[in-house]
Amino acid sequence: MVANRIEKKKEKDIETPGRAWLVGLVAWAIPGAGHLLVRRWQRAALMGGAVWLMFLCGLWLGGHLFAVTSKDQGFGVLLALLPMIGNVGAGLLYIVCWLGNIGFAENAQLLTYEYGNTFLLVAGLLNYLVMLDAFDIAAGRKQ
Amino acid sequence: MTHLLWMAVFAALTAVVFGMSAKGGERQKFIYGLKVFGEFMAIAFLLGWILYFIPLR
Repeated sequence: MVANRIEKKKEKDIETPGRAWLVGLVAWAIPGAGHLLVRRWQRAALMGGAVWLMFLCGLWLGGHLFAVTSKDQGFGVLLALLPMIGNVGAGLLYIVCWLGNIGFAENAQLLTYEYGNTFLLVAGLLNYLVMLDAFDIAAGRKQ
Repeated sequence: MTHLLWMAVFAALTAVVFGMSAKGGERQKFIYGLKVFGEFMAIAFLLGWILYFIPLR
């Protein structure tokens, strides 16, 4: 019992290496690149590839990327902020789209509009998962 | 058919990420990924049929 507690305390005391934060940042910015940095080629191809494909499918289906604009007031800010946090998970893909004003137009008349929205949102959320996975590997918490 | 196809693509891509980030060996990850894919598809079918019988208008 006591040994278990000491063991857990030791685990908590292990500091996260600075490189892990860098890997986490790169993994967020470019889906799959974090795993490339820690030399997990298969994971990089499959996990990163899935996020890229999902994001591109979302754009192709006419999905809409969310952003908080000056038009949003009061509760409306929250309604745009939460999905925006999901979208921002895609890292540079979101930023490039934002700079080029790609995917921010609402095409609600399209049959696949809602599908596209879901693809874009989930691509960002999955990339957060991929980022945490790469971070854990770099920190030595996962094989 | 297009909706079903996109639903399957969505389930497959999500299952890949979930499966790869799961704990365990390669085989366990693969089985978990298949399970996630199957669950997505099964629940979507189930909800689809439930909604089919609910009159919305």
